Amino acid sequence: MISMKQLTGRPWLAGLVAIAGFAATFAAGAADAQAAPSATAAPPASAAADATRGVDQDVQVLKKQLVDLNRDLFKLEEELLYPASTQVAVFLSVDVGTFFALDSVTLKIDDKEVAHYLYTDREVQALHRGGVQKLYLGNLKAGRHEIVAFFSGKGPHDRDYRRGATLLLDKEVGAKYVELRISDRVTSLEPEFVVRQWE
Amino acid sequence: MLAAALAGALVYPLIARAAPANGTVAPDFVLKAVDGHNLRLAEYRGDTVVLSFWASWCGPCRETLSQLNTIATVSGTDGPVLLGVNLDGDAARARSVADSLHLSFPTLVDSKQSVGRLYNVEKLPLTLLIDRDGRVRGAWAGDAAPLPELTRQIKELNSR
Repeated sequence: MISMKQLTGRPWLAGLVAIAGFAATFAAGAADAQAAPSATAAPPASAAADATRGVDQDVQVLKKQLVDLNRDLFKLEEELLYPASTQVAVFLSVDVGTFFALDSVTLKIDDKEVAHYLYTDREVQALHRGGVQKLYLGNLKAGRHEIVAFFSGKGPHDRDYRRGATLLLDKEVGAKYVELRISDRVTSLEPEFVVRQWE
Repeated sequence: MLAAALAGALVYPLIARAAPANGTVAPDFVLKAVDGHNLRLAEYRGDTVVLSFWASWCGPCRETLSQLNTIATVSGTDGPVLLGVNLDGDAARARSVADSLHLSFPTLVDSKQSVGRLYNVEKLPLTLLIDRDGRVRGAWAGDAAPLPELTRQIKELNSR
């Protein structure tokens, strides 16, 4: 099935899907209409059912092709908007997170805020289950850049907790992937915030 | 009083266009509630949602909030999800009003009026009825939402 998320921003594709749906309905109707007069001539009912099934299969194939096309377009869009030569992606993950209840993350690149995200309980649970969030996707020219992440939430003893972590990123030609990682420092019973670059 | 009037004067110019039309998808947002939890509208897909924008200086807003509280009390767990969005930009004031009205549903604080702008709030209160697919199915602006009509539409959406 094609989800609404996939169709977001592609009204023409939504239109195509609607046309495919209409075609299925129309074809089914036509099959019924063809079956109607033959009912008086008492043809086998299975013929109409086979015709409907065939149309249904055609529509399913058409929908699959649309999903594939949509996926290819998304990839193309990403390659055009964020070419590999300048692309920078920032991900967030939580490892255990016993000592820190995440509330929000603010991300700054070269002192400019590029992302601010408030986390709901469900989203935090998803991160605790091992989910990795793509927090930011953008472009940076080659050179040295400073990435600063501010983490807000509840720390040990349910106190308000706000920490920052910095990474100096040497951007060359090629995509760069950065991970913001929240983990537990068991020795000091405190959370640890790390910004690291994926090799 | 002066502070409330000033807050109103500051908020009102930020909110001067038409709200989302019926049938359009209600824009998603995430805001912090006065109890400290963050709530995202999209997480209520599958439920009927009543979203009400209000400010402490707005009289009809309090009437609407009281009506929504009545809906929450009458319908219990089978009722719609009720969300109030305060546009004062002051969580303490929003909490104070919510407490004084004994609101039993979450009060979200739109401290930067970003959601108010997203929804093009033209008049307060603005009450939106959102169906299970996240589409706006009813909107009442500038006056308290008529309780019988709102209740009827909620029942209609829930029966689908």
